[in-house]
Amino acid sequence: MEKELTPQESLQLIEGMIQKTKATYHDKGISALLWGTVVTIASLVTYARIQYDFKLGFDIWLVVLFAIIPQIIISIQEKRKIKIRKHDDEAIDAVWIVYAITIFGLVAYQNIVPAATSSLLKADGWQMMKHYLDASKPDEIITPFAPSFSSIFILIYAFPTFITGLVKKFKPMIIGGIISYAAFIVSLYTETKYDMLLCALAAICNWLIPGFILRRRYLKKLAC
Amino acid sequence: MFKQLDPILHSQLRLAVMSLLIGVKEAEFIFIKESTNSTAGNLSVQIQKLKDVGYIDVNKKFKDNYPLTTCKITKKGIDAFELYVKNLQEYLNVK
Repeated sequence: MEKELTPQESLQLIEGMIQKTKATYHDKGISALLWGTVVTIASLVTYARIQYDFKLGFDIWLVVLFAIIPQIIISIQEKRKIKIRKHDDEAIDAVWIVYAITIFGLVAYQNIVPAATSSLLKADGWQMMKHYLDASKPDEIITPFAPSFSSIFILIYAFPTFITGLVKKFKPMIIGGIISYAAFIVSLYTETKYDMLLCALAAICNWLIPGFILRRRYLKKLAC
Repeated sequence: MFKQLDPILHSQLRLAVMSLLIGVKEAEFIFIKESTNSTAGNLSVQIQKLKDVGYIDVNKKFKDNYPLTTCKITKKGIDAFELYVKNLQEYLNVK
């Protein structure tokens, strides 16, 4: 036998159920912690390598590339546990997918364009040289490069975090995004070595801090 | 004169299911069961009633070799829910 509801009870029930769906938050913060950690480490190691002039024997940014593997595993596991799809989930997924594609595009650009430009210049019969105005050193052949390229990465780090923060009304991500935009502006005026410090700052503010907050919230919820 | 409240929605469990589904794109049966504190048998019956009147869509598939039922509110369901809430508010305001 079903219980007959009074209008007041009906409204309370509706409100209670809507609150339950609002309170459902699946993000455990692991992805944010993962990317925050690897990008911070890679940026700081690159800074140290330039500052103290040592060689690692491998490209530290490969760590970032390899982080894709645990990310795929985390994504599959989290997708399995998701029991509801909210209306804004697809929009957020789309933003992060576009972000990943853009980052890959930039990495490809950074790795392909200088060598390709050199080849084109050689085919045209000339090459770029570094000439010291005071003649203190002999001229050197240089590979064409994209100046302050790290600035573009900092700019792109900010956009999914900022959008997620705005859509979810999650202040730590909004603040993280704003700090990254500030770091981007500063990086336009600094050399690559210092860009790496700004890159680490962006990673910490974009992912690590919000990741810790999300993780703490999730563990607190588990404990309840 | 009060408009009569939709009898399909004016039931505790069915209204709870609709209130959950109004806020999400789709939800798994197990989530609805846990959120409404209902039994699987009773919930299945009420979901079927909501499906029969076209208020929700029920999709049955397999996930990792286990059956998975997901529910989604339809346009007709959204309209019925909104009308139900409007009538409810009118009733409470007049009272």
